[in-house]
Amino acid sequence: MANHPRGRLMQDYSTKRFLLVDDFSDFRSSLKAMLRDLGARDVDTADCGEDTLAMCRHKRYDIILHDYNLGAGKNGQQVLEELLIGKLISHQCIFVMVTAESSQAMVLSALEHEPDAYLTKPFNRASLIQRLDKLVERKDALKPILQALDKSDPAAVLAASVTLSQQDKRYAPLCQRYRAGALRELGRQDELEALLSGILADRATPWACMALGNLLQARGQLPRAREVLEQGLQRFPMMPGLYDGLAAVLLAQGESSRAQQVLEEAIKLSPLAIRRQMELGKLALQNEDFASASRAYRQAMEQGRTSLFKSPDNYLGLAQALTAQAGDGSLDKRVQADINQTLGELQKSYSNDPLVQVRARLTHAQSLVKSGDPALAKKLTDEAMSQLGALDQLFSAAVSLQVASQLRELGQAQASDALLKNCVEVYGDDPLVMQGIAKQTADPDILGAASEAIDLNRQGVRSYQMGRFADALALFRQALQHQPKNISIALNTAQSLLRLGGDKPDEALLDECRRCLQAVRMLPPSDPRHARYQQLHNKAFGP
Amino acid sequence: MSTPPEGLEFSTVIASTVHDMKNSLALLTQTHSQWLGQLPEALLHNREHGIIEYEFARLNGMLVQLLGLYKLGVNQLPLRPAHHELEDFIEAQLARHQEVLQSRHIEARCDVAEFGLLGFFDQDLLGSVVANIITNSIRYAQQHLLVRAWEAAGGVVLSICDDGVGYPEAMLVKQSDYALGINHSTGSTGLGLYFAGRIAALHERQGLRGHIEISNGGPLGGGEFRIYLP
Repeated sequence: MANHPRGRLMQDYSTKRFLLVDDFSDFRSSLKAMLRDLGARDVDTADCGEDTLAMCRHKRYDIILHDYNLGAGKNGQQVLEELLIGKLISHQCIFVMVTAESSQAMVLSALEHEPDAYLTKPFNRASLIQRLDKLVERKDALKPILQALDKSDPAAVLAASVTLSQQDKRYAPLCQRYRAGALRELGRQDELEALLSGILADRATPWACMALGNLLQARGQLPRAREVLEQGLQRFPMMPGLYDGLAAVLLAQGESSRAQQVLEEAIKLSPLAIRRQMELGKLALQNEDFASASRAYRQAMEQGRTSLFKSPDNYLGLAQALTAQAGDGSLDKRVQADINQTLGELQKSYSNDPLVQVRARLTHAQSLVKSGDPALAKKLTDEAMSQLGALDQLFSAAVSLQVASQLRELGQAQASDALLKNCVEVYGDDPLVMQGIAKQTADPDILGAASEAIDLNRQGVRSYQMGRFADALALFRQALQHQPKNISIALNTAQSLLRLGGDKPDEALLDECRRCLQAVRMLPPSDPRHARYQQLHNKAFGP
Repeated sequence: MSTPPEGLEFSTVIASTVHDMKNSLALLTQTHSQWLGQLPEALLHNREHGIIEYEFARLNGMLVQLLGLYKLGVNQLPLRPAHHELEDFIEAQLARHQEVLQSRHIEARCDVAEFGLLGFFDQDLLGSVVANIITNSIRYAQQHLLVRAWEAAGGVVLSICDDGVGYPEAMLVKQSDYALGINHSTGSTGLGLYFAGRIAALHERQGLRGHIEISNGGPLGGGEFRIYLP
C-alpha cells in the first residue's frame, strides 16, 4: 500500500458524491474533467458559498473541493465553519480548501474548523490524485471516531481514538486531538489538563496551546491560562484563535481595555469573523469606546446577514453604540436614520421573536430621546412594556440586566425593579449575575430575596457530591419552596428525584419532578443549562 | 500595511505585485494545461513543452519564495506546525513536479526509512522549500532524483539528491554563510538556501533549531541537500 507508483489510481471514485465550488467557470470545468478522469461520475458544481450551504442541506457529499477566495460572498473558511456547526456535512466528508496562496487561508482558519487539506492552485492531476487517495485512506482509518463524532457520542470517540492510536501510530497525533476534544465534552478536566500539558512539554503545538489556555480559564486558573496563551503567541504570532483566548482571560481578570487591544490585533489578522467582531463590539461598548464598538458591530451585522452566526445583539449593539457616541449632545439626523434602518432590518428579520421586538423598541426609544422625539420614544416604550408582560420565554441573565437598565433610563423604574427581582428569582444562584444586579439597585428586598434559598442549594450540592442523595433532595426541596423559579435549584431537585427513583421511579416522584421542570420551562435555549434541562425532561416526560 | 507619507515603501509594492503575479501565473499554467489537452499526442512531448513546464515551476517557486522572504522580513510569516507523514509529504512534492520530471525523462524516487514516519513541521513552508530544491535538482540531474527521509535524534532528516554535477566547491565551503544570510548575492541558488535555512530555523523544539546542509556525492553521486527538523 505504501509505495504505489505516482499517478496510478488507488481509490474508487465512481461511487463518491463530489461537490466542487469555484467562482471561475474555466476552473470548474477543468477540475471537473480531472475528476471524471479519476472515474468520478457524480460531480455537482457551484459558484458561491451560499450555494454550497443550500446544496449540502439537500444532498450528502463525500468529497467537497472548495475555493477559498470566492469574490464578494462568504469565503471558503466561513462556509466550512457553517457546514460543521450547522451539521450540514458529516465528519466523514472530505473537505479540501483550494487556494491561490495557502498560508494566507491558513492564517484565517479557525483551529477547530480546519479543512482536511489545502490544495494550492495551480495543481496538476497527479497532485489531485495523490491528495484525494491519501484523504480517503485517512478517513477510512478514522471512521469509528468520525461516526462517533457524528452521533455526538464523546465516550465512543474517546474509546475509538485510543484503539486507533494503538493500531496505527501514523494516526496517533490526530487521535490525541480527538481524545482531547472528547475529554473536554465529558468534563474530565484533570485528564485533559494532563494530556495537554504532556503534549506541550514535548513540543509547542498550536492546538494544544489554545486548548490548554481555554481549559485553564474555564477552571478559573487565570494567571496560568494567561501564561500559556502569551507563550503560545510568542511562538505563533499569526494565530487569531490564541488572541481570542487571551482576550477572554484578560477580560476575566478585569483588564478590559487590554483585552480590547488584543482582540483588535486578531481582527487585523482576520477581519472576516462574525463572532470575533461581535466580541470586540461588546468589549468596546463596555470600555465606552463607542467608535470602535459601532465599527465592530457594523462589521458583524453586515457579515452576518446570510450567516448562521447572525445575531440580534449585533443590530442592537450597533444602535446602542451609535446612540452613545453622541455623548451628552443630541443625536444627528443622519445617525438617527442609520439607527432606524438598523433596527428596522432587525425587527423585520426577527418578526416572530417577541424578545427581540421588546429590545428593539427600547433601544429605538433611547435613541429617540436623544434626537428630540420624546413622544415617539414614549409610545415605543409603552409598546415594549406591554409586550414584556406577555412574554412566554425568559431573557438570559445578561439581557435581563441590559433591559432593566434601559427601562430605568427611560424613566420606568418600577418595571426595571420588577425585572431585576425576577432575575434574582431565576438566576440568583449565580454570583456574577448578583454583582450585575447590585450595580443597578441597592434595594435589600431585591438583593436579599434569594440568599436563604441559595445557601440551602449550596448545601444540597455538597450533600449530592458526597452521595447523600436523600439529604440533598431535602435541602433542594426546601430551597425550591423559597425560590420556585430558580433554574439551578429546580434542575437540582429534578435530578435528585430521578437519582433516588432509580430505574423505575414511582408516579408521585415523577410528578414532582415534572412540576419542577414545568416551573423553569421558559429558560432560554441559549442558557448553558439547556442541554441538562432537555435531558431531565426526556427522563421525566419520555423523549 | 501603513503607507509612509513620502510614498510607498518598496517592499510593500513588491509584496503586493508578487501576489498578483502569482495569481496571473496560476491562470497561465492552468490555461496552458487545458490547451495541451486539446493538442495531438505527437505535439505533447517535445522539448519546448518541457521548457515551458519547467519555467512555470521555477517562476512559481521564486514568487512563493519572494513572498515568504518579504513576510519573514516584516515578521508576518505564519508558522503552523503539525505532525505529518513524511512519505505522504514527499509524494505530494513529487506529484507537483510530475510533468517536468516526465518531460525531462528524470526518474524520481521516494524512500522513507520507516513505514509511517512522522515529522513535526509546517507543511506549507517546508513544501515551498522542498519545491525549490527539487526544481533546482531537476535542472542538474541527468536521470535520477531521490528524496529520502529518516529519523535522527528525535527529529527527522529530509534529503534530496540528484545525479548531476553537484554544488560548486565554493558554495560547499561557504554554506553556513548562506544559512546565516551573510552572503546571498550569488544568484537564485544562494537565495534559495538562505530561505531554506530561515524556514528550517523557525522549527524549534526545546531550544533545538532546524538547519540545512549541502554536500556532494551522496547515493546518486551528485548534489545532496539535507534539512534537519528537530
